[in-house]
Amino acid sequence: MENIETKTDEEIVELIRNENKELYGQIIKRYQDKLIRYAEYIIGDHDKASDAVQESFIKAYINLNGFDVKKKFSSWIYRIVHNEAINLIDKNKKIVKLDPDIDFDSGVNIEDSYIKEELVSRAHNCLETMDINYREPLSLYYIENKSYEEISDILRIPMGTVAVRINRAKIILKKICQTKK
Amino acid sequence: MSDKKIGNLKMEKQKNNIENKIMDKVLSGEVKMKPKWYFIMGSITSFVGLVGMIIGAIFLTNLTFFFIRKQGPGTGRINVMLDSFPLWVPILAIALVILGIWMLKKYDFSYKKNFVVVAIVVVIAIILSALIIDLLGLNEQWAKRGPMRRFYMEDSNYRVQPLHRPMNRR
Repeated sequence: MENIETKTDEEIVELIRNENKELYGQIIKRYQDKLIRYAEYIIGDHDKASDAVQESFIKAYINLNGFDVKKKFSSWIYRIVHNEAINLIDKNKKIVKLDPDIDFDSGVNIEDSYIKEELVSRAHNCLETMDINYREPLSLYYIENKSYEEISDILRIPMGTVAVRINRAKIILKKICQTKK
Repeated sequence: MSDKKIGNLKMEKQKNNIENKIMDKVLSGEVKMKPKWYFIMGSITSFVGLVGMIIGAIFLTNLTFFFIRKQGPGTGRINVMLDSFPLWVPILAIALVILGIWMLKKYDFSYKKNFVVVAIVVVIAIILSALIIDLLGLNEQWAKRGPMRRFYMEDSNYRVQPLHRPMNRR
């Protein structure tokens, strides 16, 4: 048997569906850290994020035959976690909302490295107050290293909207972080 | 042991816990994959539903045009027309268009394109198709024979009364 580590997610999914469901453990190993981190950025609570990810893995398994292996598995599983996290948020309603139409000075030039540094070091403090519409694409882009196209597939919004939200989010993040200093 | 190490150990334990919990459910059969046919049937049903809705919307739009043309929206007759017009036809046509557009939103392409444009194109296509059927006179033939005749016979239920009755009649 070929080394499972070298197989792509989509190839493993094919094997799980047709031959060996134990390989689902491999998928869980590959994704659980990233998904918990992602869910934590959305929900803002590690335990709830873990619960959401666990539920997402179960839903993904139940619907595995509905996944089109020509598409990216990662976008599919992130989408499921997104839905699960949003459902959890709706249940708890504890998000602090910012007006998404606030006019920020878009002329500010912000270094990507600065954004990444801010996100990693003080991410929770700054991100918690940011609207989810901006927080999510920002964490997907900088923390999860997803492309605009993947973010578009995960959030189901046009790529142009992804770009706009990330740019706005950078400005908002800088303002929030500077205020908190 | 430092707090960081304790935190890492706790997280490691939680990770293993998630994996074990899920795999236990998977291997015991408590959690089962839905079969392939379930998704195939779902896709076919939603596609057939979408096509059916669009065809239905074209038909009902055409029926609306047909009734308007038969009755003629002439000045002074609009009230008479509104009184007797089978309003369920255009209302159902609009409902089908809205439902069809909502179903289109379920498809992957809907968020990659400008969906407002897609929706406008669908509405225009439905109206144009209905107009073409009207111009080709297909509805006239359907009104005379065939299984669709009864829809067009609705016309007889609201025939407009002449505005000026002959003087010699009582």
